[in-house]
Amino acid sequence: MIKNVAFLSAAVAMLLLSGCSKEPAIDATAKQSTTTQTASSTVGTEKSNVIAPVTTASSEDSSASNATNGSEGLVSILFDFDKYNIRSDMEGTMNADAALLKNKTVKLEGNCDEFGSDEYNFALGLKRANTVKSALVNSGMNADSISMVSLGEGNPVCLEKTQECWAKNRRVDFKLP
Amino acid sequence: MRYIAFWAVLFGWLWSADATLEVVKGVQSLPNLAIEDGSAIANDTSKRMYAMLNADMNVISLFNVDDHYAFSTYESLTPAPNHTNAQYVLRYRLVDDGAGGLRTDIRLLQNGTELFEKSYILKQSEMLVFLSHTIAYDINTKLGGGPLEWMKRKVLLVRHSSPRHSDIVAADYTLSYQKTVLSGGMYGFAKWANNEQTDFYYTSLADFKPTIYKMSLVNGKKEKIISADGMAVCSDVSQDGKKLLLTLAPSGQPDIYLYDVDTHGKTRLTDFSGIDVSGQFISNETVAFVSNRFGYPNIFSKSINGSAITQLVYEGKNNSSFSAHKDYLVYKVRESTGGYGGTVFNLHLLSLRSNGVRRLTSGGENDFPRFSGDGEAVLFIKQEGSRSSVGIIRLVLNKSFAFPLKIGKIQSIDW
Repeated sequence: MIKNVAFLSAAVAMLLLSGCSKEPAIDATAKQSTTTQTASSTVGTEKSNVIAPVTTASSEDSSASNATNGSEGLVSILFDFDKYNIRSDMEGTMNADAALLKNKTVKLEGNCDEFGSDEYNFALGLKRANTVKSALVNSGMNADSISMVSLGEGNPVCLEKTQECWAKNRRVDFKLP
Repeated sequence: MRYIAFWAVLFGWLWSADATLEVVKGVQSLPNLAIEDGSAIANDTSKRMYAMLNADMNVISLFNVDDHYAFSTYESLTPAPNHTNAQYVLRYRLVDDGAGGLRTDIRLLQNGTELFEKSYILKQSEMLVFLSHTIAYDINTKLGGGPLEWMKRKVLLVRHSSPRHSDIVAADYTLSYQKTVLSGGMYGFAKWANNEQTDFYYTSLADFKPTIYKMSLVNGKKEKIISADGMAVCSDVSQDGKKLLLTLAPSGQPDIYLYDVDTHGKTRLTDFSGIDVSGQFISNETVAFVSNRFGYPNIFSKSINGSAITQLVYEGKNNSSFSAHKDYLVYKVRESTGGYGGTVFNLHLLSLRSNGVRRLTSGGENDFPRFSGDGEAVLFIKQEGSRSSVGIIRLVLNKSFAFPLKIGKIQSIDW
């Protein structure tokens, strides 16, 4: 009996979730108590209580997830905590990357460690990408051949909670078309 | 099992040096409440309902809730034998309504006298926890408790599922109900678009072109709002839903913009060469935001029509996350290294009127603070060692609650 109730509920829930019904998720009625008055409001009938079906990504959504890593000897540029200037120990790498990218089109992905708020990390990743873009332009690349995006902390290469791991995630990656 | 863990976490917090200590002293004076299962047959669902009601009745903070489950006759006016000390009894029963729904009857008794009786029909069985929240809300209203609209609201969050992939999830305030509403791409910054919580904004990183969309939770329909190179985030929505605060980064420079939903016009509000993000309305004329203009992330404000910048927070060196409600800010402060080797992030409450500051949490990493719509409560995520929880702080009562959380890495939260 109970299983039947559960099955019935689940079946109706499926109908609601698939958007076939405008019925409220929760309908409430109050009875008059034998000793005191009761509320008479109806709650939970708003359409806001209905949550739509799982919506899968469009093909465009997936495109950000399918990018391939850069190759051809390009090496990611690493940054210090909460900084977006190129460290002195990364200048050689930056120059080598700039030489490899000459006359090419490149996408720069800025990344962060797990510290910092959601938006601040995205901005920090973008500023890092922008610093690398400036370095590439200064080396002679056309600015129009460089695009940028920040992935914040959403694309870590290391998942451990160690200083070494966080340092690897504070980086800019190069993506070739 | 989840709610057993709730108790462990709750008590763990109560004896810690958190702001809840003052309230513990007052628990003794609250009347005892027992919750009893009056269903024809007790089953997993009815026992789960007990656990949910138990948690919610604790959160409304009108009773000292007995945590011993009891099965009893719904019509009885007396408590079950193991609840004889209870002045109040909340009895419920779950019944198949014969039309595909689950009917729940409740009655609240005080010393053998019925105070309140009500019936509910639940059509979406997976949303049982929302029914529990609604029952607690109704009892709180009946007994004249404080405002609790936030208890029935949904939480919207983005969680990282794997590198370059994230999901947008709708949840209840305890995050025990979680429904993925968008998956398959890389998303961020989900934000409710209206008070009814029928629509939300989010950022998609499709084709490396960050784009803000508006999506309906009712029919799944999406509408493109704006895209920008580098970064496009909806940080806040005005009370009437007509204005948005966006972070856009044309030319790689993140700044805050005011966006008019009707005209699609946008006005740049900040022009600092560093980072300006996370704009939030603190009035119709003023916004607060995070900036690193002094070399580290901190919280500032400015008039929408003026140019003067005001520093709002004068403590901490990494204040990159906050929530604003009228004259109050709750923000994350990076503090000394924790004893277990981790870094401690605590939440502080600031009154913009008096400049008074109150620390709300103690220990661990406390993040993603979000005020309820009425400012009565703050929701946040706590990470302490390997343990994660969602916390609720009822500011007026100075009382905290924690619910264990298993969701993975969270990117953003809105309430």
